[in-house]
Amino acid sequence: MTLAIILVIAAALGLVFILVVALSRSLQLSAGTNLVAQIQPIDVEAFRNLIDPAEDDYLRRRLPAAEFRAVRRRRLRAMAAYVHTAGRNAAVLVRMGQAALAAGDVPTAEAARRLVDNALLLRRNAAFALLRIYVALAWPNSGLAAEPVLRGYEKLNGSAMLLGRLQNPAAPARISASL
Amino acid sequence: MLQAHTLLWYYLWVGPNLLLLILAVFLWKRRIHRVYPFFWAFAVVSALDQLALFVADISPSVTPQTWWRIFWAGLVAEGLLKIGLIGEIFAHVFDTYPAVAKLGKFMIRGVGVVLVLAAALAAAYTPQDSRFGIVSGAHLLEQTTYLIELGLLLFIFSFSAYFRLNAAPRTFGIALGLTISACVHLATWAVMANGGLKGKRELLDFLNMSIFHICVLIWFYYLLIPQKATPHPAVPLPENNLDVWNRELERLVQP
Repeated sequence: MTLAIILVIAAALGLVFILVVALSRSLQLSAGTNLVAQIQPIDVEAFRNLIDPAEDDYLRRRLPAAEFRAVRRRRLRAMAAYVHTAGRNAAVLVRMGQAALAAGDVPTAEAARRLVDNALLLRRNAAFALLRIYVALAWPNSGLAAEPVLRGYEKLNGSAMLLGRLQNPAAPARISASL
Repeated sequence: MLQAHTLLWYYLWVGPNLLLLILAVFLWKRRIHRVYPFFWAFAVVSALDQLALFVADISPSVTPQTWWRIFWAGLVAEGLLKIGLIGEIFAHVFDTYPAVAKLGKFMIRGVGVVLVLAAALAAAYTPQDSRFGIVSGAHLLEQTTYLIELGLLLFIFSFSAYFRLNAAPRTFGIALGLTISACVHLATWAVMANGGLKGKRELLDFLNMSIFHICVLIWFYYLLIPQKATPHPAVPLPENNLDVWNRELERLVQP
């Protein structure tokens, strides 16, 4: 009977989850939230500096091992915060892109498609990068490749800019500025 | 009132399945069956199977053993169709997005393997009744298929929620109905397979049939009623220092 109880609890949790998903979907569709306002700006230069292997090498040479590990962990936590924000921004851009996909004109829909693809790629890379960062937090001396996230972010910026231009040709593209 | 072979019992057994057949006819007429062939096949097979079981149940010439054989045949057919249907839902949600489709396929295969192992483990720990092997075996098979089905559907919902991908209303409706049905059926079949609520099994049957009725209505709503077109206003783009940003980005990309 223990097995039955476990399965009943699992099924009940599944039911709650699916009802929450359905509810949030209907709320999301009915509420015209300002998506651009949800995008948090990211200092790409600071992020680039954080993931620069040369910086790590420099610190490794200049600092005692224990101090280097402490500094490295602080840098990794900062990196995680950046990647987390980049992933969240990508999620917002997926929603913006999906909304724009319904646009009647082909160029806008095409740009929206590209934006969604790039945003999905970035969100995927952000998840992988976060995983690697957390692993690196346990072993601060290990190497870390977060460049794909940065490259993805830059690519995303271009896609968002193109979509903004197509949606509002009068004004220069501005979505990417928030990224 | 909640007794077997009452008017409510017969309605809940026959009504939703007739509705499902009517839905299948509408889907055929509107050519939606071409877009969702597995769902259409599932609707037809599932409804016909339940109606055949109903006729067999009220027909005095059909022995209990024959009834359970029909039940088994329907169970296997439905199980196979549901695997195809889950693949169809997955394809509708993710195949248009190559950035995540490949990862999704890889992950759903992994999740599928884990679920099959978990279902096999659950089956191994479920008590078997050797006197009525055909009955307890059917309960066990129901528990196993619903466990795998629910796991796969929840994975699809979680994966799309993580990437904030909204499925088309029809796909969402099919998946929603199927998942609600799988949740409740898994719970009830798990209780039955493990020998719970003996003497009050009708209550579980009523619950299963009522939930299935609700799911059929969900499918009607999402598949036949035209969904409101959500207005997509042009994104209000804020004032910013885009030029500075782009210059800086170019400098970063090409130092």
